[in-house]
Amino acid sequence: MSARERLVRIASIDGLPIAAALVAAAVFFTAASPFFLTGENIRNLLIQSVFVILLAAGMTYVLIVGGIDLSVGSTTGLSAAMTLMTIMNGAPWPVGILAGIGTGVVVGVINGFFIAILQINAFIVTLATLSIGAGALQVITSGTQLTGVDSETFLALTKGNILGIPTGLVITLVIIALLEWVLLATPYGRSLFAVGTNPQAAFLAGTSIRRANFSVYLLSGVIAGAAGVLLASHLNSVQPGLGQGYELSAIAAAVLGGIALSGGRGSVWRSLIGALFLATLSQGLQLVGVDPLWFNIVTGASIVIAVAFDRATQHFIAGQLRSLARKQSHDISGGGLEAEALRSPAAAAPIEVQPAGAGNHEITSGARNI
Amino acid sequence: MSHDVVQAEVTRPPVGLPVLIEARGVGMRYPGVIALDGVDIKLRAGEIHALLGENGAGKSTLIGLLSGISTPDSGELFVDGVKQHFNSAKQAQALGISTIYQEQTLAPDLTVVQNVYFGRELRRGLLLDEGAMRRRVESLCGEFGLTAADLDSPVGALGALKQHVVQILKALAFDARVVILDEPTSGLEESERQLLFEHMGRLRDRGVALLWVTHRLDELFGLADVITVLRDSRLVASVNPAEHSPDSLVRLMVGRKRSEGEHLRVHDRSERIQSNSREEFIRLEHVSRYPLLRDISLSIRRGEILGLAGIAGAGRTELGRIILGADRPDSGSLFLDGKEVTIRSPRHATRLGISMVPEERKTQSILGTMSIANNISITDLGKVSRNNIVLDRRRENRLAKEAIRDLGIKSSSEQQKIVNLSGGNQQKAIVARCLFSGPSLMIFDEPTQGVDVAAKTDIYRLIYDFVDKGGAAVVISSELPELLHLSDRIAVMREGRLVDELAGVDRPGCLGSESEIAETIMAMAAREAGHSAAADTKEEMA
Repeated sequence: MSARERLVRIASIDGLPIAAALVAAAVFFTAASPFFLTGENIRNLLIQSVFVILLAAGMTYVLIVGGIDLSVGSTTGLSAAMTLMTIMNGAPWPVGILAGIGTGVVVGVINGFFIAILQINAFIVTLATLSIGAGALQVITSGTQLTGVDSETFLALTKGNILGIPTGLVITLVIIALLEWVLLATPYGRSLFAVGTNPQAAFLAGTSIRRANFSVYLLSGVIAGAAGVLLASHLNSVQPGLGQGYELSAIAAAVLGGIALSGGRGSVWRSLIGALFLATLSQGLQLVGVDPLWFNIVTGASIVIAVAFDRATQHFIAGQLRSLARKQSHDISGGGLEAEALRSPAAAAPIEVQPAGAGNHEITSGARNI
Repeated sequence: MSHDVVQAEVTRPPVGLPVLIEARGVGMRYPGVIALDGVDIKLRAGEIHALLGENGAGKSTLIGLLSGISTPDSGELFVDGVKQHFNSAKQAQALGISTIYQEQTLAPDLTVVQNVYFGRELRRGLLLDEGAMRRRVESLCGEFGLTAADLDSPVGALGALKQHVVQILKALAFDARVVILDEPTSGLEESERQLLFEHMGRLRDRGVALLWVTHRLDELFGLADVITVLRDSRLVASVNPAEHSPDSLVRLMVGRKRSEGEHLRVHDRSERIQSNSREEFIRLEHVSRYPLLRDISLSIRRGEILGLAGIAGAGRTELGRIILGADRPDSGSLFLDGKEVTIRSPRHATRLGISMVPEERKTQSILGTMSIANNISITDLGKVSRNNIVLDRRRENRLAKEAIRDLGIKSSSEQQKIVNLSGGNQQKAIVARCLFSGPSLMIFDEPTQGVDVAAKTDIYRLIYDFVDKGGAAVVISSELPELLHLSDRIAVMREGRLVDELAGVDRPGCLGSESEIAETIMAMAAREAGHSAAADTKEEMA
């Protein structure tokens, strides 16, 4: 294997660019601030980022089938309110958890019904449920004071430790691992990729598009419900506007993880790295004393740069593969079909062009809430 | 070539009519395909020139070259005797060449006047000169049956005929001297068609050269002054209609494709049992889905290949989609092994043992960025999972490797992305996908479209192997020789109906030689259905 082939192989490792960016950011902030690489800080960073991590994992499923779910932020807030309200009204804490997750189920079923069954545009439907969820949260919080439950067990969901690791983080990691496994190792996960890659082809080959679409919105809702439960435990209070903007952070994290907004590509694991990158950036900027007024600008710019770097890497790989193929076809007379195909424009297919403007807009505005 | 001689006309001596546009030996290649090969054509002022040919004969490519949409790889174009090199449709338009496409290119929400001047509005200073545009359209429209009220209504509210007229006005408003009409009568009712023909006559009288592409042979006579026939991307002849009949034109279009027929005989089918002794797999009774399919009854037996013939839009793909459960019929019943079934979805069809190789490889078949193995196993993931829960990759890869070997798919490994295969190998992988779920019936929709000759033969062999093992196959194809040799029976469709059924070449009950059957089919598929179809429609509406 030539040095060049080795380089191409390394560059082709999925998620390498964003992982490199995460390490670079961590190294930079460690050098810039003595407080960055401390147990306390890392712990805070992780606990505060579990919500976006979870939502990004659910969003990954939705984006893989080529959809979008803008409602997850407001669902998280509403679920947190439902959880606290249920427990404050005297119900035992497991019932509170069920109420929170149930909220997510309801939103997920509504989204799934309109998008998968009635085939209405996902952007429109989830924009509407975002608004309804946020409105419902306002109605709930305007009447009653949702502050303080005293169930130790419930609060321990985020404040306690398992083997020295924050419980909330353990729960999140278990969910993440399960979601990644389902995506990669089950027929169901495979069918999602097929639907996202080419819905028409998947349909004619006997995959149910309706089932794939319905299930991802249901799942995304359930995950948002779970994130809401953890948020309720973490804050032990709810204000109007809670969770707002989380959806954009979740989309940004998934995009940083190299997901294609056009569907068919993505992994929960890489979205997790994307979410950690965003969290590291905001925490780090705080520690090095950057004026908070500049946070959004710096975060937005780094998202664009990170994504551009990822695309450039893929462009490089495609170019190298083409030139290797050209070389091979010179070496072996006749060339072979594969070399022929690699030389064609189709070989450049892995480069996903960002859908014009819209994608970047979401990403940059997402920074507002990170 | 001899066509120059043939073109010496009786009715209209060419001497008096100036040649407006002439193509000499124009050709066009796409990777692996010759779309047009050394074609000559002359369009004269005040002449209606009909262009005929089967699907894929090169008509659309020729139109594209004449209207400036594409640039020929070889040959030359002359306008008024001056050599031209078009890089865009705009250049052709500037020289007075206008094209009216089959699909409407009008903006449905804009008015007639706005559409006529769309993108080329008349201006007075910075403002639009509405008055001048309206006056010009008014001066043109009376002749073509548009009223003043029509001019202000949105084009989408007008009927199909009036929309054609708007396109004609659009051409005339910019002094078009050459008008290309791509199947202008499709979608028109009989009475409207006659009106359109009158309009075409008026254009001719104004000295416009018309190039008229059509599938309907009957309508040519009495209107066309010259008929040019293309076959297999080549010019067959330019002829005088007075010396021809629909039958003789069909002969020119179909020709004798001996050499192509040869490689179709990859399999000796003479030993095969008679088709009527085979058991039926699926039966359709009076299946309709309006307006594309009307009252289809047919049965498909195990061990048999049923061919579906017809021109584009005859409803063949739609019939395939009904059988696959991709669309539901409005009425009628389906029986599988004698029992009535409702096929709810392709997913359900797969479980019932029905699969389809779709027509459009890129948009309907391949999962482009996924591997060959993933593309093959998608029809039956249960087969590559443990307890239907966990994917067994090793098993998946092994079965994919076997399929790659058995079907002769040329690839570096089963992990290669399917987009990086050639068209023929992609198609074989799609056949492998359909076979993967162990179907009893496979529907092949244009299975050899855009596939090289070697892969074609391979695909024919796969189809034969499948039916030899007791499978039932439906083949939809616009290539008649392919259909004639593959099929045991050929059902001919026209305008959503089944019009007749005949035996394939060398099958029991076969009517004659390949070219004779081809002519019969072409005549049935392309025959003017006009009046009777319109009457039937009214009956159904009532």
